[in-house]
Amino acid sequence: MTHLELLYPEMALAAMALGLMLADLFIAPKHGKLLYHLAWFSAAVALCIVGLTVTESAYQGVGTLWTADPMSQFFKMLVLLTTILCLLLGLEYKQLPLRHAGTFAALMLFSSLGMMFLVSGIDLLLIFIALELISISSFILTGFERKNAKSNEGALKYFVFGAFSSAVMVYGISLYYGATGTTRLIGLGEPGGPLFTLSLLLILLGFGFKASIAPMHFWVPDAYEGAPLPVTAFLSLAPKIATMGVIARVFMLLIPAAQQDLTTVFMILAGLTMTIGNFTALFQTNVKRMLAYSSIAQAGYILIGIVSGDAKGLEGVMLYSFVYVAMNIGAFAVVQAVGDDGTAGGNYELSAFDGLSKRSFGLALMMVLFLLSLSGIPPLAGFIGKFYIFSAAFKTGHYGLAVVAVLNSVVSVFYYMKIAFHMFLRPAKDETPLLAGPYLYGGLVLALLGVLIFGIYPEPLIASVQASAQALP
Amino acid sequence: MHMLTLITFIPVLGALIILAWPKDKDDAVRVIGLLTAFISFALSVALFFLFDRKDPTMQFKEFASWIPSMGINYALGVDGLSYPLVLLTTFMSLISLIGSLGIKVRVKEYFFWFLILEAGMIGVFAALDLVLFYVFWELTLVPMYFLIGIWGGPKKEFAAIKFFLYTLTGSVFMLLGILAVYFQSNPHTFDILTLMKAHAGWSERFQILVFIAFYLGLAVKIPAFPFHTWLPLAHVEAPTAVSVILAAVLLKMGVYGLMRFCYGMLPLGFAWFLPILIVIAVINIVYGALCAMAQTDMKKMVAYSSVNHMGYCLLGIAGATVTGFSGAVFQMITHGIITGALFLLVGVIYDRAHTRDISAFGGLALKIPLYSALMFLTCFASLGLPGLAGFVGEFLCFLGAFQMWKWHSAVAVLGILATAAFFLRMMEKVFMGPLNTKWSDLEDLTARELWSIVPLAVLTVALGVYPKPALDLMNTTLVSMVGLLK
Repeated sequence: MTHLELLYPEMALAAMALGLMLADLFIAPKHGKLLYHLAWFSAAVALCIVGLTVTESAYQGVGTLWTADPMSQFFKMLVLLTTILCLLLGLEYKQLPLRHAGTFAALMLFSSLGMMFLVSGIDLLLIFIALELISISSFILTGFERKNAKSNEGALKYFVFGAFSSAVMVYGISLYYGATGTTRLIGLGEPGGPLFTLSLLLILLGFGFKASIAPMHFWVPDAYEGAPLPVTAFLSLAPKIATMGVIARVFMLLIPAAQQDLTTVFMILAGLTMTIGNFTALFQTNVKRMLAYSSIAQAGYILIGIVSGDAKGLEGVMLYSFVYVAMNIGAFAVVQAVGDDGTAGGNYELSAFDGLSKRSFGLALMMVLFLLSLSGIPPLAGFIGKFYIFSAAFKTGHYGLAVVAVLNSVVSVFYYMKIAFHMFLRPAKDETPLLAGPYLYGGLVLALLGVLIFGIYPEPLIASVQASAQALP
Repeated sequence: MHMLTLITFIPVLGALIILAWPKDKDDAVRVIGLLTAFISFALSVALFFLFDRKDPTMQFKEFASWIPSMGINYALGVDGLSYPLVLLTTFMSLISLIGSLGIKVRVKEYFFWFLILEAGMIGVFAALDLVLFYVFWELTLVPMYFLIGIWGGPKKEFAAIKFFLYTLTGSVFMLLGILAVYFQSNPHTFDILTLMKAHAGWSERFQILVFIAFYLGLAVKIPAFPFHTWLPLAHVEAPTAVSVILAAVLLKMGVYGLMRFCYGMLPLGFAWFLPILIVIAVINIVYGALCAMAQTDMKKMVAYSSVNHMGYCLLGIAGATVTGFSGAVFQMITHGIITGALFLLVGVIYDRAHTRDISAFGGLALKIPLYSALMFLTCFASLGLPGLAGFVGEFLCFLGAFQMWKWHSAVAVLGILATAAFFLRMMEKVFMGPLNTKWSDLEDLTARELWSIVPLAVLTVALGVYPKPALDLMNTTLVSMVGLLK
């Protein structure tokens, strides 16, 4: 059975993205904003399709290469939500040429389409194609500011690293095929042996590249710094979450890491990712770069859930991913409001934040809340996420990793508070009030509500995550 | 009646109103701030009359399910250990806010952060769920960072971040301790009262490990040697009212946690640590006093005297007797009142003279008699003169500790001598002798300053002469607490 009805949301999104590309040819550049509105509307339609069918058992099941289960639906909704929020940011972003608005928006949609496939894939072929779809769209998006040398540099580095990691992953998949005789991830019996383990490690390397897991993180700071800000926000969230989703599916459910003696590998990866991300972020003076390293560190926290390997760990991964979307998109929205000042390339240095509390107290206060949430201070949503992940680690006896993680949280506070320091403690260079556009505020308020409500009353979120943490087959 | 919820969250309500209030309406902000702090104080005074002194268990309990899927509840309650501290918190917050009326820049932000801080502090003492406790505990960090960082002295940025990182480093270990007891208990629970009865089944090794985790978080706050280095810095740089609240309430959170969790929940760990704790107490007392003696800055001297006074609390706790515990709790209250007054008084002189250097003054007693009288009274109370509040707590602490730790107590007495020495030296240099002509037009206390200091002075005398009402509050609970160590 192919079960094509399981792919309705993906089909709808693909059709609308293609439509956007076509529309780009016929719509005058001055009406380019219209295409953005169409784009986020398309993503919202896809989100609604997923959301409305999430409890329908008729729309759940296993297709040939894919599965539609509560877990994949959860990640799909999260990816689409991120896409919508990033497109809202894109609407206010001054550096993008309106002439190519349709292309830009369509690429975002293609990328999220890839992620939707990625999180539902149960066959390495589909997973690989999905990853390529994400990567190729992301390369172009990163280099979208053609006149900005940094944007080009970031795109090129991203591309070179991406091509390399794809090659490694394909090699891993070929070994996998050699060891098992199939590219499917289900119905394997009891595979094992050095060849199989090697193939898994190489595949993990490919995933690690997209999820910015150390030591495959070297492209991150340059690509994030160069990319247009809405793309940076997008890259720091959607591909990372989707890849975490697929890592969780493959290494927690289909081929449990513990059975292959890979738990130690994941433990080392988690520890390294957190520590490298946080300690490098300490020395950054460019906020975009700082948040890039911070997002590496956040990936490390999510990995702890995968190390735990049990149901609570999986819930932790999903819960943290959700919370991470809210707090990170919020932080990036404020960064855009401050840094995208109309000059070419914008000004994202820490000094641009000087005296923000004078210029716009609301923005500064929201930024502080997002940053505190990222560092896991209660009563904000980030704390709940960390608490859940840490308790999963404790429950499965990974005490050492938990200690490393909490110490990392302390380190992260130092650089997050550096931004707060510039916003509140430094005098403003010019005290002109800072105004941001309505769509940016819309995204900000959504993110803020997420961070506050799920920080103070997380029960509904936890309940829905627990309900979603079920996978087929 | 949700009295404790009201007491805790009325300041938050005030903070939110202030946040929504239009800009540049500073007077309205001050009124809202004072009013909410006053309501909170008035309600906690009302509890004073409703509080059943014969009941050793938690009173005014409130319970609501908060995050059932993780077993976290919203549970509040106070007993004879925590209620006096809640009262102290609301009282000192109100006093500090009166003392903050002189703040002229960014008034709205100041009152906002201050009220959030107050809510966090009250919550710490009233929480009966470990996660709720941790949430309130961390809630005090961020406001404090901004209060020191924005309105502080020359090195405020460094002091603020050092305070933040020090405390956070300690408290994340406490978070791990909380998780550890959760998974150890059966069925898993964060409920403090249940956990306090559950320790019988926990091995000594487990209790010691968790004790260390908790202790790291609490010792930074107390601050116990060698984790005290953030305190002088934070105190010196913080604005006056924030120093007051820092000394009067924030340090008590550490001692309170030590008694509630380290002792009440992990008696084997506590027993294991006792020989070290008494040494730390003695070091705090003697070393704190000697450091204070070496200071030329009055505020820094008072800050180190806090290290010394917290040592008395630790001494009392290390005695593990009813007397010692009563002494520790009483000392917390009186230290809050007396040191609060000292910081306010130092702030007064700094506002006028823009220096706190002890040797820069001289002969002020004749010039500003009212100020000098209050300063004398507070200093004498702080150095433990019988008849004033400080003496009662210190005496009980020594009495409680002496039965078990004779030699240590004897060494600690040296600290009292040093304390007396540095306070007397300061009084001599600042107030006695010929008037330094530089200060010939110094003015005495204003009405606002009197409003914040006189209540403290009155309490200092009252509690010194007649400590019974305060001791009665805590006695039954403390009697039921001791005896865990056998």
